[in-house]
Amino acid sequence: MNAAADADHTTTAATNAAPEAQATSPAVHRQLGEMARQLHDALAQLGFMPRLSELTDSLPDARSRLSYIATKTAEAANKVLNSVDRAKDEHATIAAETRRMAAAIVADPVQAVASGSLMNFVEDVESSTARIDQHLTDIMLAQDFHDLTGQVVAKVVKLAGDIEDQLLELLVRTAPPGQAPRPPAEPAALDGPVVEAAGRNDVVANQEQVDDLLASLGF
Amino acid sequence: MTAASDTRFLIVDDFSTMRRIVRGLLKESGYHNVDEAEDGVVALHKLRNESYGFVVSDINMPNMNGFELLNAIKADAGLKHLPVLMVTAEARKEDIVRAAQEGAAGYIVKPFTKATLDEKVQKIMQKMAAQ
Repeated sequence: MNAAADADHTTTAATNAAPEAQATSPAVHRQLGEMARQLHDALAQLGFMPRLSELTDSLPDARSRLSYIATKTAEAANKVLNSVDRAKDEHATIAAETRRMAAAIVADPVQAVASGSLMNFVEDVESSTARIDQHLTDIMLAQDFHDLTGQVVAKVVKLAGDIEDQLLELLVRTAPPGQAPRPPAEPAALDGPVVEAAGRNDVVANQEQVDDLLASLGF
Repeated sequence: MTAASDTRFLIVDDFSTMRRIVRGLLKESGYHNVDEAEDGVVALHKLRNESYGFVVSDINMPNMNGFELLNAIKADAGLKHLPVLMVTAEARKEDIVRAAQEGAAGYIVKPFTKATLDEKVQKIMQKMAAQ
């Protein structure tokens, strides 16, 4: 069969199939509609629909809460590091000035006082320590993220727990007989921070254990 | 030989806060020549185009993780001499052993102290000087 005949055959087949599809389409749609309604009714009868719907509605809120935590913690960390940098600069200036003033006093105490250098130094130290005190206060205030994010974390954890409970219950009720309701979780390629090391012997709890492990292997 | 304090460090971590903390700690210990990269891909590019003497790397990072970076460094004739200190929250024993077997010069688990970082860096520096 040549290419033109092939194309013609395909077109003919499509033309023949079209009326059939048009004929079966409403039936298929009706069947799908019935299945969707049955699923909806079954879930409603089991009492899941309102709760699952409510939980699903909460997910965007949970996402924004998690973004909030990320933003607040990053802001706090940067605020603290900026304040530390500024306080350390002030401290370095005072230390250098103290050394300079000490040398001036040793060289000529009368001149150091008479020229006003000593008094200027005292005033500089006073204003510098006031600025350092402000940086320390900023560092202290930056810790408020802990309280704020802690509350948000508690809400997200509760939502995650509710969703898990609902889905687990749904899984248990709808699983075919004899099938395990919950597949075993695959271990993650990288675990990240260990939240709870107690009772686990596959992880280390501190740097000492890291060093001991490596030493036992000859590293 | 380059004095230890002149050694150029490359800190590889996807969290800028952690990079800043490690940079600050190294600075306090007298290491002022410090550069940063946010993942293994950026780090490898920098390592191949600039000169460094020490790599401090996280493990769990996007694009190219710490193990992949370590392997790439050790497979590169021009880079394999570089010491790589892993600084990571990964606390599984198999990850620690894997890092050592694949050529990491040291392994620090987060959260860590300045004393721990100082001790590991010094130990690695001494080992390099003796070679």
